[in-house]
Amino acid sequence: MNEQHPIGLTKGPGETPHEFTFVSPDRGQVLKVSEFVAYRAEVDGQERAILARVTNRCPLRLYPDTFLADPNINPDDVAALVGYHQRGHELFELTATVIGYYDETLGDFVNPRLPPRTGRPIYLAADEELARMLTKKRPGEVGTAHIGSLLSRDKDRVPITLDLRPITSTHLAIIASTGAGKSYLAAVLIEEMMKPNNRAAILIVDPHGEYDTLAEMMNHEVFFEQPPDDTLQPVYRPEVKIFKPGDVKVRASALSIGDLYYLLPNLSERMEYLLRRAYHDVREQSRKDKGDAERWTPAELQIRLRQLGEGGDEEDEGDDRYAGTADALIWRLESVLDQSVIFDDFQHLNLAELFRPGRCSVLQLNEVDEREQRVMVATLLRRLFRARTQTAKGQVDEGDELYLPYPAFVLIEEAHRFAPASGDVVSTGILKQVLAEGRKFGVAVGLISQRPGKLDGDVLSQCNTQFILRIVNPVDQARVAESVETVGRDLLRELPALTKGQVIVAGEAVNTPLLCRVRTRHTRHGAETRDAPADWMRYFEPEEQSRRERETALPVQPRRQGKSKMFK
Amino acid sequence: MSTISLGKIIKSNSHTDYVCQVYGPGEVETPPAREDYAFGTFARIGLGDDRWLIGIVYDTMLFNPDFGRLGPRLSLEPELAVFSPDYLNEKATLVGIAAVGMMDATSNVVQGVPSLAASTDALVERMSDAQVRAFHQGNPTPQLAYAPLLLTQGSALALPLLRTVIARLMALFPDQTDLLAVLQDDLTWKAQVGPLGGAR
Repeated sequence: MNEQHPIGLTKGPGETPHEFTFVSPDRGQVLKVSEFVAYRAEVDGQERAILARVTNRCPLRLYPDTFLADPNINPDDVAALVGYHQRGHELFELTATVIGYYDETLGDFVNPRLPPRTGRPIYLAADEELARMLTKKRPGEVGTAHIGSLLSRDKDRVPITLDLRPITSTHLAIIASTGAGKSYLAAVLIEEMMKPNNRAAILIVDPHGEYDTLAEMMNHEVFFEQPPDDTLQPVYRPEVKIFKPGDVKVRASALSIGDLYYLLPNLSERMEYLLRRAYHDVREQSRKDKGDAERWTPAELQIRLRQLGEGGDEEDEGDDRYAGTADALIWRLESVLDQSVIFDDFQHLNLAELFRPGRCSVLQLNEVDEREQRVMVATLLRRLFRARTQTAKGQVDEGDELYLPYPAFVLIEEAHRFAPASGDVVSTGILKQVLAEGRKFGVAVGLISQRPGKLDGDVLSQCNTQFILRIVNPVDQARVAESVETVGRDLLRELPALTKGQVIVAGEAVNTPLLCRVRTRHTRHGAETRDAPADWMRYFEPEEQSRRERETALPVQPRRQGKSKMFK
Repeated sequence: MSTISLGKIIKSNSHTDYVCQVYGPGEVETPPAREDYAFGTFARIGLGDDRWLIGIVYDTMLFNPDFGRLGPRLSLEPELAVFSPDYLNEKATLVGIAAVGMMDATSNVVQGVPSLAASTDALVERMSDAQVRAFHQGNPTPQLAYAPLLLTQGSALALPLLRTVIARLMALFPDQTDLLAVLQDDLTWKAQVGPLGGAR
């Protein structure tokens, strides 16, 4: 603590047992809401520095309104007129919530349940000590992410270094209104995870195609681990692989019956029955013939459907009641599977290709139908989870399709599409399973959403590290308040007032909730909003006009003698 | 406007509240005119050694021992001057003076409750414009540090008194009228609109 300069004196207890108030002239204007202060108290026979967070600031001395009557007259001069000559007259009552003293062995705060005595000095917590207490890790260590600096202090004075271990086991959520900087923050996190001290295996589900600029990481020195001898190639440089729509296929046979129902909405009961029978039959046949139930092809499914429709089954022989139903199903199956860019008869997403330490795969889904996006994410998560489960249990060996011997992290943009609060979609179930059980097998997800109000409450509450940026919508604020228990009311009050790049970080990656200023990205930001007025202006530029004239001009006709035949 | 002798201190009601008997006819060569001890006039009370209490006339009382006497007088008033001149001297004009500071010959000024008190028979003089300006001169703004003292004494006349004082200062400090107007406006509101229900 800064022993030499107390910044205020304790006034008394606050409204709750963990709050206290102190009075300070705060001449340097440093005691902002969310700032950290400390006091000294004896705990278990040892003097400890006890950290507290400022939650409210209330002025104690205000000029009478009438002193402010003339905008051209300084109220200080009016005060001087009546004999008050002090220029720094302001005095504030500040409310602070006790966080506790930092126990080095526990690596966490311990609340002493002992507010400071009245008249005791309050200090501004020193930068270095704060950096050490707020997060468990130091910059540059393995498993750390330096995402920025403490907002209440000058830029870079108190670096915020997150512990990546809980993030990559108990999931994270990034929540913010549009334009508050959630993609920017996500990219900063990815950058940190791809640095030489982390080398993560990441997949980004990118429905808007805005993460492709992360590819710049491959050529940016900050991400390289240089060898001792500078002449050699870097020992490590991250790989970024962009998968355009159509690059990654889902083998049709990997679809569950639930996926098929979801892809073919509004099936009649008869259709569902027939599809279920055919699906079951082709899987059985595939198991018998190929040793794997997931090796059937859509053609086989269609053939089986036709057989069932014609009463081809032994028990239904001669019964063609289902002929029309089978035809309709086949037609719908064809129209969904054949026209889609993501489904394929044989190709399948290769997990080892998508997930590899030191590789960031960006799965762009910006031209893919929303239903297919959900099926794709569901299939992908299901396979990833199965691969990690089976690998962890030793059920698959190297070379197997489902062998994945390292943890994986999946960042899902627009998460409310994949786990909406309004109803079950095909991806909700597997997402909930991964959130609940993923930590045991090393599958973690990061959910990004601009509409937490539309996101499933259970899904949000299972993300144990939260990054919350500016949220203005009251419904979204309420959802955040009910789902994110670790963030105090005082910080949630800040939500509408946060500006771009200011984020509340809470949960397991930090020792106490804090407000952080996100650092500048090393790579360019890809989620720029289109400048429509500039595009409209460009339409009228001479070059653009002449280009249009050139392109739309009629071909020159050879000059003919006599009467033109063009206008007969 | 020069210094004019107004009268003498005859008693005090408190450390800052003095009563001055205004010189009557015959007591000094030129007795003060009514305007010289008008409401809001700055007066200085001699303390000796070229030091003065500075006060403001805030009240006027007429003293008449004959008031309430029901019996007839044997002598007519012109005859009283011959037969009983003492009686005429018993009629007096008294003014209340609120002490608001101290000042010496070198213009060392203290505004607010003065540390010293005047003695009986101390000379009371009306202050000149230059003296009033010197008493209020500050750097860079004029000083009116006794204003809260007047306002907190609870007198019904405190507001009008302060408004009169500020009006005088606006004339004496023409380049500070905007600043003084902020205070004047506040007091005018409180005096004129406040009693009729205006907020604050």
